[in-house]
Amino acid sequence: MEENVPSKMHYQLDFKGKGETFFGIVIVNWLLTIVTLGLYYPWAKAKTLQFLFGQTTLNDDAFAFHGTGKEMFKGFLKALLVFAVLFGIMGALTYLGHQGIGILVLYLGIFAIMPLAIHGSYRYRMSRTTWRGIRFGYRGDQAELVKLFFKWVFFTIITLGIYSSWFQMNLRRYVIGNIRFGDAEMNYDGDGGDYLLMNIKGYFLTIFTFGIYSFWWQKEIFEYYVNNLSLHKDDKRIEFTSTASGADFIGLIVINMLLIVFTLGLGYSWVVTRTMKFIFDHIQLDGNIDLNTLHQTEENYKDATGEDVSDFLDMDFIV
Amino acid sequence: MNQEAAGIYFDGKSAAPQAVTIVLNTLNGVLQFQTETATVERWLLGELSFENVGTTLQLQKQQPDGIAILKITDSTFAAAILKFRKENKQIGWYEKMLASGMKFHLVLGLVILGLIGLTYVYAIPWVGEKSVALIPESFDDTMSGTFISDNLLFSDVASDKSKVLNAFAKELQLNNKKKLKFIFVEEDIVNAFALPDGTIVVYSGIVDKMQNYDELVALLGHEAAHVNNRHSMKMLCRNLSGYLFISAILGDANGIMATIGDNVNSFQSLSFSREFEQEADREGFAIVVKNKVDPNGMLNLFKRLQDEGDSIIPEFLSSHPVTKQRIATTRQLVKSTPQQVEANSKLQQLFQQLKK
Ligand SMILES: [Zn+2]
Repeated sequence: MEENVPSKMHYQLDFKGKGETFFGIVIVNWLLTIVTLGLYYPWAKAKTLQFLFGQTTLNDDAFAFHGTGKEMFKGFLKALLVFAVLFGIMGALTYLGHQGIGILVLYLGIFAIMPLAIHGSYRYRMSRTTWRGIRFGYRGDQAELVKLFFKWVFFTIITLGIYSSWFQMNLRRYVIGNIRFGDAEMNYDGDGGDYLLMNIKGYFLTIFTFGIYSFWWQKEIFEYYVNNLSLHKDDKRIEFTSTASGADFIGLIVINMLLIVFTLGLGYSWVVTRTMKFIFDHIQLDGNIDLNTLHQTEENYKDATGEDVSDFLDMDFIV
Repeated sequence: MNQEAAGIYFDGKSAAPQAVTIVLNTLNGVLQFQTETATVERWLLGELSFENVGTTLQLQKQQPDGIAILKITDSTFAAAILKFRKENKQIGWYEKMLASGMKFHLVLGLVILGLIGLTYVYAIPWVGEKSVALIPESFDDTMSGTFISDNLLFSDVASDKSKVLNAFAKELQLNNKKKLKFIFVEEDIVNAFALPDGTIVVYSGIVDKMQNYDELVALLGHEAAHVNNRHSMKMLCRNLSGYLFISAILGDANGIMATIGDNVNSFQSLSFSREFEQEADREGFAIVVKNKVDPNGMLNLFKRLQDEGDSIIPEFLSSHPVTKQRIATTRQLVKSTPQQVEANSKLQQLFQQLKK
């Protein structure tokens, strides 16, 4: 490690996890989940995240996920309660002969939970994630996110869905912009208009090329995600750049599909580790932040409810 | 006995690495090292968590304000730590299971897959079917109500001929526990179906193809058997439980797996319906014989459906795939069952009215 601070630093992301190791974890998780009739699920999830984070390295030092099955189990119970109440209300309304209203309440309820789930799961997951012992954190404001979320939903509805592109990018900007890595801040620069144009282009070219362009479309989506990311600390920064090509994506996706199909799903572990490796091999970091100077700033936060609500809603963690 | 190695220490407050010299006391399992601030850290192996990242062993210690990390690349030293933990039974059952090797995991995986397969093929349909008993029959009626209003809304229900059809059915013993209601629809569809609430819908298309009333008796007998056995509810419950099972199993896999699972499930439901058809054929046949009607009508009915072939629109609740096997089975039944056939002029007369 160098003591002086050069203007340009060296950064290297990597994923060191092996498919075989993850396979063991997945199988043991399956076994325990089946034997406990599903109760083990939160612990299984914690183990999975611990592995995936723990095998991802930055400059040869691993990230770590410190969330525990117990925390997630509590979150799981709370999420279950929320859904039980919603379904209870729907059931009661249906019983009273207002089936339509019942279903409406259920959908509105689930919809209203979404921003809370996003907020909760980011807050929990970031606070349980560290690198060299330095915690990540999420500083978004719950009330603000709820307000923005419904404003964007409203715009999306009145523009007949066209605004959804801005919806996604605004949400990503908000969420990622509130991520802290010790005393450094994450930032996302994506714009709804650019994103929409890119997707329109991708959509039509995919049709014109009978699907072949979809790999390049995938590449552009990934690139749009990565290239707009940056990390800031004081006046220094790190820029993220994707180095993946369309051909790289063909290799990734086609082999992943074959792995799943020809192993009856047992190849799932290798699909995950390959994909993780692919992602981190294709993100290049450039900048002048000296990682050694990062300091602990974020609090310890232990409520995993949001995490499990988003699980129930089958939402992707990454917005 | 002491062993020594170089390591890198992170104090959980800053990301600055500190080069340290670690001493392992193999008698009491204590790691000791001095930090840059000249504090002496003593870590008990039993309190740490361990992770192998590439060729590096990473130790983590939960401290009140955060997590401190020690990285060790010296493999002999790492082996000494593992040896101590093994000898002092500090390796839990979970870690042991993970370390039990690829072969063991593969066997375990195949066993689990096998068990899931067996459960899906044998246990789940059974549970689904039995769970029908828990659903009150009133629900059958509610469900049928929605189905009728959705599907017969634009159909041409012939009320006169429906009356004739009801009169026809009244002449028959259909072994029904629940009141059956017959609806005649003027539409060129060669099919009929039964709803769970006892409503049996017959299209003019199928009646027009029939030559004799014994064919209509066979059709009604078959449909009545579907209702008597609550086949559509059973099928719904089987499909639903199969779907729930698959999505529970694949819940955390991904889209590809879910899609494969869905298709398997709908494929499976095809054979469910075949099984129910056979039951309805058997019981329908018994109804025909009981009513002293010529069972050859059933054979003729099947032949007409077979001629119609693929043009039969698959119905949601109970469609009638006619296979050679069904015809063969029925032929066997006609041969082996003693029967007494009496011509029924009333049925004949009502049948003629329907054909007009
Ligand atoms: Zn049938």
